[in-house]
Amino acid sequence: MIDVRQLTRRFEGTLALEDVSFQVHPGEIVALLGPNGAGKTTASRIIGGILAPSEGEVLVDGVSVRKDANAVRARCGFVTDQPSLYERMPLRRYLGFFARLYDVAHPDVRAAELAKLLGLDDVLDRKLGTFSRGMRQKVAIARALVHDPPVLLLDEPATALDPEMSQMLRGFIVSLRARHRAILLTTHDLDEAQRIADRVVVLYRGKVLRIGATADVRAAGRPSYTVAFAGDAETARDALRRAGIEAESASARDGLTALRFPADDPAVVNPTALRALLDAGVRVITLAAEERSLEDAYLSIMAEARR
Amino acid sequence: MKWWLIAWREIRWEVFLDRTSLLRTGLFVVIPLFFVVSNRGIPPGAAGDVTLIGLALQSVFFPALSGVALIAATFSTEKENGTLVPLLAAPIRDFDIVLGKLVGMVVPVMVACVVTLTAAYALAANRYGAERVARVLTPELLYAVLVVSLLYLVTTGSITMIVAARVKSSRAAQQIAGLVIALSAAVFAALGFIASQLGEGWPLLALGVGLVLMDILALEIARRVWNREEVIGRV
Repeated sequence: MIDVRQLTRRFEGTLALEDVSFQVHPGEIVALLGPNGAGKTTASRIIGGILAPSEGEVLVDGVSVRKDANAVRARCGFVTDQPSLYERMPLRRYLGFFARLYDVAHPDVRAAELAKLLGLDDVLDRKLGTFSRGMRQKVAIARALVHDPPVLLLDEPATALDPEMSQMLRGFIVSLRARHRAILLTTHDLDEAQRIADRVVVLYRGKVLRIGATADVRAAGRPSYTVAFAGDAETARDALRRAGIEAESASARDGLTALRFPADDPAVVNPTALRALLDAGVRVITLAAEERSLEDAYLSIMAEARR
Repeated sequence: MKWWLIAWREIRWEVFLDRTSLLRTGLFVVIPLFFVVSNRGIPPGAAGDVTLIGLALQSVFFPALSGVALIAATFSTEKENGTLVPLLAAPIRDFDIVLGKLVGMVVPVMVACVVTLTAAYALAANRYGAERVARVLTPELLYAVLVVSLLYLVTTGSITMIVAARVKSSRAAQQIAGLVIALSAAVFAALGFIASQLGEGWPLLALGVGLVLMDILALEIARRVWNREEVIGRV
């Protein structure tokens, strides 16, 4: 649905994107991650037909952004971090206005439908300037959906929303995936990305650093294990060191102590570690695979890139 | 006809609901009417006729001046509020956005011009005699005055729009609009005076043609400046 091919974009000599390629398929959520200035918003704007690529190609629903940017815009719904609404307009008129811009057959009916879908049907005739932050973001989403686009470009949609609203928004985005929309989610919220993204694309200084299924990106890197025990950490660390295993402190619960150690071959390393600890009189309670969060994976990818 | 959607939105939901712009336009409507009623008297003969024409010109140019500030405000405010991004993300041609914005500002200002001219005409007829006013301010002249004010508004509006595309804040846009107003008023007055000194025929016609050409040029530059590439880089 979204096919980005060797995309490059320059701004007056500055390289904002360089040779970026990725796809977003129907019924898939792809999170575009990266620090500020990585080129996420630029990529999103090029895909949405607002900016032109310097080199490379972007196809949205098979339409080239270079050849027919207007047709691409008609296929995309765009949500930015700021709702950016016309404050003096009532909701009904606002959605009706955008529905007409997108050539929707029955604009007023569509406006009412969307308001109902997002739980705004009781405020249809209220001016947007009186809406709360959460309601405004809902309006921005309704605006993006007004023409029922196959592609959604969500640029930090949950910025400044309270946890309840963020959860509602996440649920809504997931429901759109179920309706076979291709969704590109640009975000700094790694927890949000971990929860809903099927795949992630990590950008850094305009280049793709990592791309893959969310689970694979989280799992990538050296696997590590955490052993929790009752007793002295130094004794346990010495026992592991004697067995050739370097361990570091890890967080533990219930008054236990924990150490983390890498294990490229857990079938060999883990029994060795366990035997060394038991021989040293350490009372081991649990030994478990360390599950990396997307945040951990992202930070390690970034640290690697900066090195 | 998407430009009309944009224009109508501007007229209905921005111009008529913005108290500041209404107040400013109202002020620019009242000033020329005040000049008509406060004038001590119009002398008989050609000098008096020129004064009447001058009053008619003031009646349309004052409201037109308010339009320039209005245009500067609408573009820069949209940029500041970020409301331009959803508009740029919609399947609309750049030209439709520029035209829609311009028409949305020009229409209400031209309505103000017509209202002010009509009121000024009625007041002048009441004060200086209906027969004399009708003899000097012929329908052709009134029509010409309105056309010139429209051309003036489109030219200065386009220039202001070009400036507003480049600046970041509405305050800067307003300041530059003020400069455009002052300069353009001086240039237009000087050109009109020179043309009238040269004669009544072709110089005035040439001035009109010159204004139309300037309009086309300014609109074309505005369209180029207001393409998505340029604007989004500055939002």
